[in-house]
Amino acid sequence: MRLALYVTCLADLMRPSVGFAALRLLEATGAEVVVPAGQTCCGQPAWTAGNRGLAAELARKAVAELEGYDRVVIPSGSCADQVRNVYPQLLADDPVWAARAAAVAASTRELAQFLADEAGLAEMPGEFSGTVTYHDSCKGLRNLGIKRQPRELLARVRGLSLEEMADCEECCGFGGAFAVRFGETSTAIVDRKCDAVAAAGVDAVVGGDLGCLLNIEGRLRRRGDTATRVLHLAEVLAGPEAE
Amino acid sequence: MSAGGTSQAMFFRARAAVGAADVGLRRTLQKARPLFVGKRAKGIAGLADDGLDFVRLRTACEEIRRRVVDDLDVWLEIFEERAVASGAEVLWARDGEEIRRHVLDIAARHGVAKAVKSKSMLSEEAGLNEALAAAGIRPVETDLGEYIVQLAGEAPSHIIAPAVHKTIHEVEALFAAEHGRPPQPRSSADIPAMAREAREVLRQHFLSADMGISGANFLVAETGSAALVTNEGNGRMVTTLPRVHVVITGIEKIVPTLEDFSTLMRLLPRSATGQTISNYVSLLTGARRSGDGEGPEKTVFILVDNGRAALAGTEFADMLRCIRCGACMNHCPVYFSLGGHAYGWVYPGPMGSVLTPLFTGIGNALDLPHASTGCGQCAAVCPVNIPLPTLMHRLREVQNEKGLRPFGERFALRAWAWMAARPVLYRTFARLAARYLRWLADDSGRIRVLGLAPGWTAGRDLVPPPGKTFHELYASRKKA
Repeated sequence: MRLALYVTCLADLMRPSVGFAALRLLEATGAEVVVPAGQTCCGQPAWTAGNRGLAAELARKAVAELEGYDRVVIPSGSCADQVRNVYPQLLADDPVWAARAAAVAASTRELAQFLADEAGLAEMPGEFSGTVTYHDSCKGLRNLGIKRQPRELLARVRGLSLEEMADCEECCGFGGAFAVRFGETSTAIVDRKCDAVAAAGVDAVVGGDLGCLLNIEGRLRRRGDTATRVLHLAEVLAGPEAE
Repeated sequence: MSAGGTSQAMFFRARAAVGAADVGLRRTLQKARPLFVGKRAKGIAGLADDGLDFVRLRTACEEIRRRVVDDLDVWLEIFEERAVASGAEVLWARDGEEIRRHVLDIAARHGVAKAVKSKSMLSEEAGLNEALAAAGIRPVETDLGEYIVQLAGEAPSHIIAPAVHKTIHEVEALFAAEHGRPPQPRSSADIPAMAREAREVLRQHFLSADMGISGANFLVAETGSAALVTNEGNGRMVTTLPRVHVVITGIEKIVPTLEDFSTLMRLLPRSATGQTISNYVSLLTGARRSGDGEGPEKTVFILVDNGRAALAGTEFADMLRCIRCGACMNHCPVYFSLGGHAYGWVYPGPMGSVLTPLFTGIGNALDLPHASTGCGQCAAVCPVNIPLPTLMHRLREVQNEKGLRPFGERFALRAWAWMAARPVLYRTFARLAARYLRWLADDSGRIRVLGLAPGWTAGRDLVPPPGKTFHELYASRKKA
């Protein structure tokens, strides 16, 4: 099987370890993993802002880079949703690109989805001694139906125990540009998430979308919580990188 | 929002900042939120006890509403014919101004000095209370929540819980002043006593009012009736005690048959308050007939367009299915961080973020379609399957198509997309950005102030990148 890893622009810039963790996990499945050159951003910011033209332009670019693989794997529910659900409707009226977009969409999986449902990785390379809670990101949960998969995978990590927090399916208040445009409102929302994390009394909060994680981590730190770790699912599953 | 009908929606961002910073308001709202969410969840789960399935039922409700919206003119004609045949008068209003004119005409014809009101969001669209008061007619809101916000000189902040933003202490202060007694310390145990006090005052108004004004949850075409779904009993008083009853409602509120009404009633109370059925369900048909023991001498329907007809047949027609249950705002993280007043017009929450720009002008509510994290919970709970996030997104696109977005935003987006389309340039930029962000971090290892995105660091730190991008590291590893 030949896989393409789409790292996402956020992981590329803000936390490369997420990309490398995803890479190690995918390689552990025994598949051939390619990081397609030239990948930048899936175009979601343009789509969310309501600029269809720019979003379509970046969609065509990504489709061209990601076609021809057995699977495209993305360590982000919201970017995977963009490729799987938005690209086909965005390019539906484009006679050249509609079929190509549909094919790439059909081959695209969010990382946890791929690992739990298709890869059959019985044991995770990572180890974690402590308790974690899992934050369900909105797009992954509601648009891709990701709920069971990350929990199944976390259960296969040695030493880790999962403690569900209250309202784990509730939005963290990130929402891309929303977090900056409506900073105060976004902060008010993430405060509730931080309350839930604090009440769960865990060593780490884990999620599948870096945007949510930066938001939760940023608010936890500002509130003075420097102890609770905020980790991407891939980082927990893959464990720290061997030097 | 003091005057109903006057939109302050243009100032959502400023109002949102104030709302989000109001700790007391947030505490009040956050206490109410789990009640709404928990009760609905229980109500929906309870469907199974009646052998009903939520997904199938909601498809049925969607279909009923879709059938009406697709042929609105036909259903309205049927309704008008049946309503007139049963003795009611039917008037049409294009906008708030025509609503006001109709109501004042009726009031003048019947010598009305006082009007009691049951909840009507349409009268908010028209700013009717102000118009009545200006004409020397005293409007008295009789829904307990509406009564409270009227005493406070405010507009409702929620479509089914108008005073959800008020604390018991604020209500006590209003009651003491209005009811002419010294204020007392109050706790939630006193709520029944406070409600009784309001009821006693309101009873006098019911008995002395000349006109009752209500909304309608549905208009049943088959029988020409208004259906009223309430919990307090004030609706019954308003619609039966005064000599004249005026129903003000939107033209989209039609359901074809009583059977359809009962199907919708499976989901409306459950979605709103979690109840299997509301305390009162009234079907009001015509005026008092000879031999009837009670009822108004005159019943008038004012059927209001105010922007609705223009949505039929468009990509926003889905919104006309709305049955005003409030589930979308009850589940909205943005609504419950700000309260309803931040939205600046009659309808708050996700449904308001779609309706306000459509009813008051897309250019007059530029922020509202963006006032969403895109979490999708509103669509997940909507009893008639309205794709609210899709409609908000579509409104954002229309803003772009009409050139209504600010220049700075358009320029930044264009510049970013131009770069994202050019990987070599993009990599260089990302490398510089990673180093710049790293450099911004203070001794704690975090960024406290980010000039480029002050909205982020107003309430959050930013944990900076380690210094090199993924693609930079990956390229050097492949070489090694």
